[in-house]
Amino acid sequence: MSNKRKRIDLIYQGITYAAASVAVIVLSMIFIYVFTNGSGLLNFGLITTDYHAKFYNSGIQEVDQFSTAPRPDNLGEDTYYSEKWGIALADSEDREGKLVITVEYVSEDSPLKNLMYDKNSEDEKPIQLEEGDILGTIKFNDKGSALSIYGAKNMLDELDEEDTFREMVFYTKGGGIRGSIITTLYLIGLTMLLALPIGVFTAIYLNEFAPINRFTNILRSMIEVLTGVPSIIFGLMGLAVFVPLTVKYTPADSGNIISGAMTLAVILLPVIIRSTEESLKVVPDAFRQASLALGANETQTTFKVVLPSAIPGILTATLLAIGRVIGESAALIFAIGTAIKDDISIFGKSTSLAVHIWSLMTDEPANIELASTIAVIILIIVLALNLLVKLVSKKFTKKFD
Amino acid sequence: MTEIKKQITRFKKKFNFNSKKEVIDFLVRTFFLLSTILSASFIVIIIIFIAQKGVIPFVTDNDGIGRVNLWKFLTGLDWLKGTAFKSNLYGVGFIIINTLYISFFALLISMPIGVLTALFIAKIAPKKIAEFLRTVVELLAAVPSIVYGLFGSGLILTLVYNLAKIFGVQSKGGNSVLAVILVLALMILPTITALSEVAIRSVNKDIEHGSLALGATRTQTNFKVVLSSAKSGIFSAAILGLGRALGEATAVSLVAGNARSGPSLAFFEITSTLTSTMLQGLKETIGIDYDIRFSVGLVLMVVILFSNLTLNFIKKKVGNVDVK
Amino acid sequence: MKKLFLVILSITFVFGLSACGDTTEEEWDTSSSISVYTRDTTSGTRAGFMGGIGFDEAKEDDGVLVDGFVIKDNTGIFSTMQTDEFGIGYISMATLTDDVKGLAFNGVEPTIANTMANEYELKRPFNYVTRALDDYASDTEKNITLAFVAFMKTLDGSDIITNQGAIPLESTQTWDEIKADYPVCEQDNSGVTIKFGGSDSIEKIAKALTESFAPKCGNFVPEHDHTGSSDGFKRTQGEEKDGDNYKHIGFASRPFKDSEAGAEGTQGQLANDAIVAIVHKSNPLNGVTAEELVKIYSGEITTWDELLD
Repeated sequence: MSNKRKRIDLIYQGITYAAASVAVIVLSMIFIYVFTNGSGLLNFGLITTDYHAKFYNSGIQEVDQFSTAPRPDNLGEDTYYSEKWGIALADSEDREGKLVITVEYVSEDSPLKNLMYDKNSEDEKPIQLEEGDILGTIKFNDKGSALSIYGAKNMLDELDEEDTFREMVFYTKGGGIRGSIITTLYLIGLTMLLALPIGVFTAIYLNEFAPINRFTNILRSMIEVLTGVPSIIFGLMGLAVFVPLTVKYTPADSGNIISGAMTLAVILLPVIIRSTEESLKVVPDAFRQASLALGANETQTTFKVVLPSAIPGILTATLLAIGRVIGESAALIFAIGTAIKDDISIFGKSTSLAVHIWSLMTDEPANIELASTIAVIILIIVLALNLLVKLVSKKFTKKFD
Repeated sequence: MTEIKKQITRFKKKFNFNSKKEVIDFLVRTFFLLSTILSASFIVIIIIFIAQKGVIPFVTDNDGIGRVNLWKFLTGLDWLKGTAFKSNLYGVGFIIINTLYISFFALLISMPIGVLTALFIAKIAPKKIAEFLRTVVELLAAVPSIVYGLFGSGLILTLVYNLAKIFGVQSKGGNSVLAVILVLALMILPTITALSEVAIRSVNKDIEHGSLALGATRTQTNFKVVLSSAKSGIFSAAILGLGRALGEATAVSLVAGNARSGPSLAFFEITSTLTSTMLQGLKETIGIDYDIRFSVGLVLMVVILFSNLTLNFIKKKVGNVDVK
Repeated sequence: MKKLFLVILSITFVFGLSACGDTTEEEWDTSSSISVYTRDTTSGTRAGFMGGIGFDEAKEDDGVLVDGFVIKDNTGIFSTMQTDEFGIGYISMATLTDDVKGLAFNGVEPTIANTMANEYELKRPFNYVTRALDDYASDTEKNITLAFVAFMKTLDGSDIITNQGAIPLESTQTWDEIKADYPVCEQDNSGVTIKFGGSDSIEKIAKALTESFAPKCGNFVPEHDHTGSSDGFKRTQGEEKDGDNYKHIGFASRPFKDSEAGAEGTQGQLANDAIVAIVHKSNPLNGVTAEELVKIYSGEITTWDELLD
């Protein structure tokens, strides 16, 4: 072999190395980008709190003993403290980047901890201002209200001048994604409930029972065509078929989680059918023949011999399908809608995590940071699912060899 | 239906031998058949219902706005002339061209990279690296399109904007034909790689051995023999990749710029695709402006169908080499 | 082989990363043409902006805009203005941060204080529409709805609206002063559901209002289903008013269209939302007038030096 030949070969090989590294670079860039933008907000509270803040309107009983607690040492420099009321306030940003006043500290003997009552409740039950809450407005009896847009210092100054107030409006920190997580879980559950049986039965029919004829071929290719249909078209179908259907037969009155799950189920059918069929194919015929020879009928053979052998395949299909449900956006934008909700009902609108990102990217006010944070969460879940798929298939592949 | 009839006659015939087990067998079998028919029927449901809604703008007078002219709709070079909600002068001709143009270039970028990566994974890379790359490709395929959109609107737009500057062009914040092409190329890369790899690995070993025996080097064999033998499978990969490029919605709509007239052929010009047009202003729209989105969906399906048929035709022309 | 792979990998990686790094700072070229960004024709912000600068034809017609304009969503315009040095767009003031430059409008800086003082003029109305007075299932529902409308216009209501980032209309009375006029709020309404719908841009404000108001009015149950401005009228007085989706009160984040003219005394405004014209931070321009914005969006002015003289 000449040196020239070797050199040319090396160049050719180099090209394949370069091409392959593109995939690695792209993946790492996506991860780096999403993580650098989104990791700032990533914490457990995000997952457990509501997107919409919870509002409290509180009144206060007559105060005869104001707080005497001194300013705690661990408060930051930009934090303002009122010794009279025993609270520390600071200007900060909420998860949507809006300027708000947060409660940094409430002393034990603060009237705001001991003497406030909830004006919203019938029996005026006691309510407390807590650290982390956001202070909206303090309304006074004989002068204008102290609003949060004028900043923490102004609010404390106004409050210090008075001995009581008419109403204090405060709310919990919103911007959480609890609702979208619940919706995503509902969607996964319902979609699997619909798609798994139909998909698995179809795969069994096609692989075990279907006679080799034209009719079977037509059925097969009709299912295959579904693979090539873009998800936005499935979305249109969901809007045109499943939304009216669910509105008619359930309490729903517009796009809802059920119509979304039905749409997703149709998207996933070909994935589940194909993957199940693949695993049925590798079940050796000897198993079936042995079962039949032992006097079992077709049904028994299918459910007791063939199906158990196909379970790894079905498991893989399920995991892949879950990944797809989590990532799907275009179809759900049409089939459910884009309204972010906290109280989730399967008959109502709400967003999955992916559609939550879409809403944040198109709504007001803009919130790219939170969008990236949700993307981080989605990426982690999808990553975990894929590794799980690998594990599952590795564990079961060698079974029939 | 003939299948059901056959089943019934078979059932009747068998019924003479009768056993409870066989009745159960028949029922289970029918139930499975029904599942299969249900799965297969969705494609028909999709076509019927979208067609039914999609023709509304062309056959009704749209609450007094007037019928949309089908020919003008298909050939129009402006999305909408006149005031929204009051005009019936919609056109998607330029959007069809944009969509095909963009998908073609996305495929042009992705194909060589994808196929070479596939060759690398299947034939060249050491086992561990191949396994690693396979995982990378699978992960890329699993990244949701909304995340590609986020990545595209954050990073690729900036990249394209700066690139345009280097070329002395003032682009609109990077929103451009090129940005869409790049995002789509990234999105279809894993599809193409994964399918090509399967095609390459299923090339008959005898062909390879023959080439090696004739004195060709490993690399020569890989490039000249293996790749051309896997042609047919690689073409299938291209078909699937193109389908995904044509139908991708959320990521594209975040980087296209949504041009309202066209076609846009220059790389740094803003553009629009069928899918981005369908998503635009979806939340607040009503009447004809809403119904027309189903018509655009119908057009999208026809475009995908035709491009698939064309590629399949080419695939047949290119011919098939012995594949195991 | 492995080494080669690693070398190539790291080279391409470094290249890939450096290619997307920061651009070098150069002189801002005033002769550059203006890249015009807008929302789409269904957007309430667009209607408010075009109306506010006196370019009414452009509210729902793309044809009158300058050639080559870009349509983006709110977030898209905001983030693109951090990239495109020569772009101009507009966003809701609630979105404005110092990542972009908000332009003074007719000489007034875009601040909340200025908007509340009614000096900043570029804004869109947040409107409401209720059912026609003779079209309620019960008098209780009607009276609660009317009480809610009254509450929106009190000082208490405007505090809530302010805290949600919008600009309330001027009000002089507190709820406590007028509640005697609404005896329905004295009784127990916990079995009554009042349905709110329409614009989802106003959903947060509407929710904050009802959460505050329900306890003041016999604990009626507010039900929110916000689906878009066009449903505001449709589901209170329009074609869907008697359907399953009927609403007592609908909201619209834009002026009502001619086709949405409702019964006497059922429509009104609850707040304003300020809209800000924004440019890249490096842009030397600090303010624009309404006429200049019309000229930019209609294509009469196409380069920055025409504005910067």
